[in-house]
Formats: sequence, C-alpha cells, structure tokens
Amino acid sequence: MENIKESILLKFLCYLLIPIMIFILTISIIDVSITSQYGEMKGPEEYIETEEFGREYLLTLIYNVRDIRRDKNRMQIKAESENTSETYETTEETSYDNYSEIEDESYEYPVYYEVINYNNTMISQYINYIIIDKENGNMFTNIKSNNYPEEINKLKSEKTNWSYQDGNVTTNINTINQESTKYITSPSYSIDNFEGYEVYSNIDPSTLSYSNSLYVQQTVYNIFKGHENLPTYLIPLSAISIIIMVIYLIWATGHEKGKEGIQLNSIDKISYEIITFVIIFVIGMMMSFAIASIESQIPQKILMSVFLLCYLIGYACLAVWVSTTIRRLKAKQFIRSFLTYKICRWIKVTVQKIFRKVTDKENANRKITIIYWGFVFISVILACTMWSGIGLLILIAFWIWTYYKLIQYNKKLQKINEALRNIYEGNPNVKLNEEELEGTLKIMAKYINDIAGGFTNAIEQSLKSERLKTELITNVSHDIKTPLTSIINYVDLLKKEDIQNAQIEQYIAILDKKSQRLKKLIEDLVEASKVSSGNVKLNMEIINLKELLNQTVGEFEDKLEKKNLKLEMDLPKENVMIKADNRYLYRVIENVFSNISKYALEGSRVYIQLQEQKEEVILEIKNISKDKLNISAEELMQRFVRGDKSRYTEGSGLGLSIAESLTEMQGGKFNIEIDGDLFKVVIKWKSER
Amino acid sequence: MYNILVVDDDKEIVNAIEIYLSQEGYHIIKAYDGEEALEKLKENEIHLIILDIMMPNKDGIETLQEIRKDKTIPVIMLSAKSEDYDKISGLNTGADDYVTKPFNPLELIARVKSNIRRYVDFNHAMVKNETKTGKVLRTGTLEMNDETKKVMVDGKEIKLTATEYNILKFLLENKGKVYSIEQIYENVWNEESYGAENIIAVHIRHIREKIEINPKDPKYLKVIWGIGYKVEDIS
Repeated sequence: MENIKESILLKFLCYLLIPIMIFILTISIIDVSITSQYGEMKGPEEYIETEEFGREYLLTLIYNVRDIRRDKNRMQIKAESENTSETYETTEETSYDNYSEIEDESYEYPVYYEVINYNNTMISQYINYIIIDKENGNMFTNIKSNNYPEEINKLKSEKTNWSYQDGNVTTNINTINQESTKYITSPSYSIDNFEGYEVYSNIDPSTLSYSNSLYVQQTVYNIFKGHENLPTYLIPLSAISIIIMVIYLIWATGHEKGKEGIQLNSIDKISYEIITFVIIFVIGMMMSFAIASIESQIPQKILMSVFLLCYLIGYACLAVWVSTTIRRLKAKQFIRSFLTYKICRWIKVTVQKIFRKVTDKENANRKITIIYWGFVFISVILACTMWSGIGLLILIAFWIWTYYKLIQYNKKLQKINEALRNIYEGNPNVKLNEEELEGTLKIMAKYINDIAGGFTNAIEQSLKSERLKTELITNVSHDIKTPLTSIINYVDLLKKEDIQNAQIEQYIAILDKKSQRLKKLIEDLVEASKVSSGNVKLNMEIINLKELLNQTVGEFEDKLEKKNLKLEMDLPKENVMIKADNRYLYRVIENVFSNISKYALEGSRVYIQLQEQKEEVILEIKNISKDKLNISAEELMQRFVRGDKSRYTEGSGLGLSIAESLTEMQGGKFNIEIDGDLFKVVIKWKSER
Repeated sequence: MYNILVVDDDKEIVNAIEIYLSQEGYHIIKAYDGEEALEKLKENEIHLIILDIMMPNKDGIETLQEIRKDKTIPVIMLSAKSEDYDKISGLNTGADDYVTKPFNPLELIARVKSNIRRYVDFNHAMVKNETKTGKVLRTGTLEMNDETKKVMVDGKEIKLTATEYNILKFLLENKGKVYSIEQIYENVWNEESYGAENIIAVHIRHIREKIEINPKDPKYLKVIWGIGYKVEDIS
C-alpha cells in the first residue's frame, strides 16, 4: 500500500491518463448527443447538406431583401412628408444604403450594385444573387455584368442554386426547398420575407468549408464511424477510470518516498487566493480561447491544435490547483495558506505585540510609546478642532507644554551625563539625588551612584593597600635598622683599634663603606615607598625657586668642588615664584645635585638654567656623565636602576625616582633627557607670578 | 664623673654606646627595658638618659612619662623610627633630644655632651656670662658676646670667620625672622648684591657646620628652602 501511495510513476501515469480519459469521455458524450440529434442519419457528411448551411444561406438572402425593403419604405415616407410639409427639410440623399446605381442597357429598369455587405453570415460573401423588386422593377445584385437578364438564367442553371418567384422556391439544396424551409426557419425568417420580390441566387460549393463547430462535430463523428456502439462502453469506462484515478490521486498526493507525513512543494507555499486567482484566470482564458476559436474562422487544422493546447493548459492548471488544495487540506495548512489569514494573523500578532509592549511595565519603550502616540493622538484631535480658534490655541499650548517637558527631561539626562563624565574623569565622588528623578532615569541614577560608590571603595582599597605596603616597608626597615646600628657602631669601634695588619684595615674600610651604603639604601627605600604611595603630607606655599637654587648650590658647593665641577648658572634677575612644599622641593633639587656630585665627569661643567616662559617655569640642569649611559631615560627613572646599570657605587638608585614622584605630587613635571653622555634634567612648574 | 643611663633591649647597642661614652669619661649604667631603667634610676644618681623607644615590658615613651613625673634630667630618645611624627611625639613627651638609628657615634657623643653641659655646667656659666657683660645675643644655648666677639654653643666656644660672625650676628639680632640671601647680603654688607648669592649660602652652611651638632638637621640656624634663613628663637 505504501509503495502505491508513494509511487511517482503511478501518479505521473494518473496525471497523464486523466486528460486522455476526460477527452475520450467528452467525445463519447458528444457522439452520443450527435447520434440522438440526427438519429439514423448519423450526422452530416458535407457541409452543403447540413441544416446549418441551409439556414445561413436563407438568412443571407432574407437580410438583403429586408434591407432593400427598409430603404424603400424610408424613401417613400420621406417623399410623402416632403409633399405634405413645406417646412420639413432634409439633406439626406434618397437612395439605398448598401447599393449604388449602375448603368446597364440590357435591363430597362435601374440596376443597383452592392457596395457594402453588413450581413455577417459566414457564407454571405460566397453567395451570388439578383433580387428584383416586382413593384418598380429595380434590380439589386452583387454580380458584375453587362447583361443581367442573361445572368438570371445563368444563376438558375448553376449546380447549387436557390430562387424564389411568386411564393415558389426552386432549388437543389434539400434543406431549404419549398417543403423543408417550413421546418427549419422560425416564422420571422420564413420565405414570406421575399413577398413582392424575385430572388435568384447560387453558391459555388468549392468555396465552402465546414464551420469550425461543425468541423468538431464532424471529427467526433468520424472517430466513431463504423463503431457506433463504442461510446456506450467508453462513457462508463472512462468515467469510472477517471473517478478511480482521481480518488487515488486525492489519497496519494502529498506522500513521498521515504518521507513521513505530507510533503508540501513550492506551489503549496503560495498564498491560496493568489494561486486560485491565477488558475481561474488561466482556465478562463483557455476556455474563452477555445470557444472563440470554435466560433472564429481560423483554419480547421490550427483549430484542433489550439483547442488541444487550451485543453491541456486548462487541465494542467486545474490539476495543479486541485492537488495543491488537497495537499494543503491534508497537511492542515489550508486555512493558513490563505493570504487573508496571514494578513489577519499579522494584524492580530502586531496588535497583540503593541498591546503587550504597552502593558508590559518592564518594557523600556512602554512609556515612550504611550507618550509619543498620546502626543500624536492629542495633536490630531486638537488639530481637528482647530477651526474654532480655541482649538488652535490649545494645540499650541499643548506643544509648548510638551517641549517644556522634553527640556526638563533632557536637563535630568544632562545631570546623569555629568555624573558619568565625572566618574569617567576619575572623580567618583558623585551622588545623584534619586528622589528628583523617576522611571528609567531613577534606575540609571541608582546604578550610577552604586558604580561611583564602588569606584570610591576601590580607590580607598587601593590606597589602603598602598599604605599597608608602606607600613610594611617602614616596619621591616625598622627591624633592619636595629642590627645595622650595631654593625655600624662596631665597625666604627674596629676602625679606632690600633691594627697593625693592613689587610684587616682594608677589610674594615669595606665593611664601613658597605654598612653606610646599607643605611642609605634603607632610608631611601622607606622614603620612596612613602612618596610613591602618596603617603606624604604636603604643605604648599609660594616660594622662590631662584632662592632655593642658590641655597642648594651653597649646600653642595664643597661636594662639587671636590669633584672639580664648575657650575654655570643662568638665573633670571627677578625672583621665580612657584607654589610648592619647600622641604620636598628641596629634596627634589637635592637629589638632582646629589646625582650630579656622584655621577658627573670630574672637571666638567654643570649648567643650570632657570627661565620663565609665559605661565611656565623651566629649570634645566645639564651635566656630562662620568660613565657611558647605555640606558634609556625611562629605565633610569625606574626605581633601583642606575645610570651605569651596576650597583657598586654609592647611592641607591632611588634618588631620581623619588625626585620624580615628589615633583609630580606637587604639581610639577620632572623629565630626564639623555643625549650621548649629556645628562639633562628638566623640571617644569606652573608660574605663580 | 657623670652617670649616664643607657636603655635599649639590644645589648650590643648598649655595649657599643658604653664603649664610646666611657672613652669620653662618662660612667655608664645599663638597663634593657623600661622597668629596669626606672629601678636603676631610683638606685643611682643619673645625669642623662639615653632611651630606646621600642622595648619590651615598658616602652620608651611610657618610661619617659614615668621619669618626667618627678625628674628633669636630660633624656635623649633613641629610635629606629625616623618619621617626623615619631620625633615630635618623643619630644612632646618631654625628651630633650632625638637620635635615629643607625646613628653616627660622633653625633651621639656630641649630643650627650651638649645635653650634659646644658644640664649641669651651663646653668652656672650662663649666670656668670650675664653678670659679666651687657651685650649678649642669645637663643637657647647659643650665645654671642658682641664685645668679646665670642660665640658659645652649650658653653663651648665656636671659632667663626668675620663674615660668618657678621651673618650670624645679623640673624641672631633678628632671631625668629626669615631673611633671604639678598636681604642678608644687603644688611650685612650694606650694598646691593650682584649675583654673589650662593656665597652667602656657602657661608651659612659653614656656620651651621660649626654651631650645629647635625648640620643637616640644624637646631639654631635653620634653612627655610626657597625663602631664606633664620635663627630659631629658643627661650
């Protein structure tokens, strides 16, 4: 069962067989209907023998006579009115509409030749006729001739002719002879129409062909010719097979091999209305095409193929439509596949979404949605009442009010922005008043306060840990200092002993030097840790940097002299005032000088230049290094790094680092530049003039 | 013969101090904590105490407080703490001097001498000097007799050059006031200074080296960095 259900071949066969079966069924039915209509005659063999032909033939002549009579009557009425009424004027020419008069000497009365043929019977153009008005002898014809009486005789003698004289029909067309015309025409189209006229006509059968509808009938008839009983079997057979195949397809469609459930294809995804509309449109087109082609006069050979094409396209469309409908129904997607359904659903979902957003208090857009659409709504309502004047005033007032509210909101936002900027710039002592704000802004303010608090805590924590570090270093150094005191003292005592051994004296000298260095190191270490942790209380006042430089030079005069260093001072005449803690500023300058006295090349010059430039005081101290400075300025500034990278000389290497920290702590800038052996310290300070 | 009580929990330091001070002719009494120090103080006549701050049982500050209840003898505090805060708290409690570890033995000796002189000898000398001459400039134990041109610190005569003497005299006459190098020059030389500023600074350093026990931590002639110099007004 499953195999049958899923067989593509079987389905394909069904789809192929159904149109064939429908075709067979259709032509069988047509054949049966023809048989019942024509009885034993079993349908016409030649068009000329058909009733249709007869009817057409007769109608053509009747139309012509009618026109002639109508025109003649009209002319008579006109002639009468001209006689009775002088006032009535007409410009219309008194003649026959369809005919124009021609000359013929062989005929004693006027001859009218047909110029227009309005009668759209199919065969009208093939019929040759002469109509004679018995009252006045006027002749009407579509034959060109010099001798019309001769032509009348000719028409009478033609193979397929039809003539009327004084109520008598003379013809060799059986369907419209004297007897049969009584049956085939309705009273209005009876031969009585020819009363008062003589009609002579004929048609050349070779110019005639079947009408298309007749051709179809004829074709169908020909199919079953000689097998008259076949349709009786074919009708139920094809009908049953169609029903079976349709049922099978209904049952099997949508099932595919190896796949569970109903499989939908791309056509099934198209909205149902659209596909239905398209298919109805195409089928309608095909049907009207087919009908039109039957009624038109296109060649019969083409007709059949056009007809078949229309049929097949129509069938294919129908099959697609039915199958997609069934698949949709089976997959329970039928209603959902309606575009209308989708639109309705979308509207429903959108409305629900909006509704949910508006009612959801957590939603950030809720408020703005309500406010904005409220604004629009109120604006529109007020705009509608604007004509009254008061409405316009209210609208403008409403807009101003809204603007004012927006500005207020923005101000609050600015406050928050300000707070954030403060935090960003490293000033976390921010406290927003949460009570002043509402909604999202209130939450924002709360978060910002929390963050600011967190920052403050973190900074306090880090300061605390720096302090702890400093404390640790201080305490440890204290513990080191106690034994160091003994070392220094006993070394000193040893020095005083009278020692004969020069070797021992040398050892003691080393001990002395190193213990002194250790002392200095510990002192510097404590200071560096204090300074770098900011654990220094500054006492800022306005001081004279020039004075301080002179004082420092005084302090270092002997040390510099000892190394034969010459000072080149370039100080301004005026005092140079800056704001600093004088003791710590001295430590800075002292460290630089101490550095020079230790590391400058003996006998070289030391340049000290102090200048004031605009708002800035610049102090430059330059000297030539004793040792090669194979180190960057940055490295030099780092703690425990010394110019020569070795640690055998005096000093801790902390001096410059302490100087830098102290300078920055007091608001100055401390820079070192190294250019070959030139060692340059640049200190910059804000001028306090 | 003066008796000096040395108190420190580190025996080696006490011993070293003993060696130094014995060489200077002082008699040393040793103690290793505060309690012991107070006991020794009761048992002996003591002229000066060298007191360590960080000690077990009773620390230096507490001990000093006990001592100061009934005695005015000079006390030199000894501590590894070099913070200003520690120094000030020690001096506030009633210490006369403060020496940080690791100390320079010579400085300690100088301070001991100075304090003993002030406590024992100088009290008498001062009275003598005052009766002898009229014009004496004085601050603390630094005094200058403008007639004899003698400068004494803790009763010990100091030799100054004429320039140094004039500078110190000017500052001493205006003790407690701060003068810049320029002002000092103009006042002492009575003429405008022409870039000779750092010469004054050198002179003042020399003066400090002569009159101060520790020139880097002066007691009398103070350097106010970036402003000038002054002689401290000590009553």
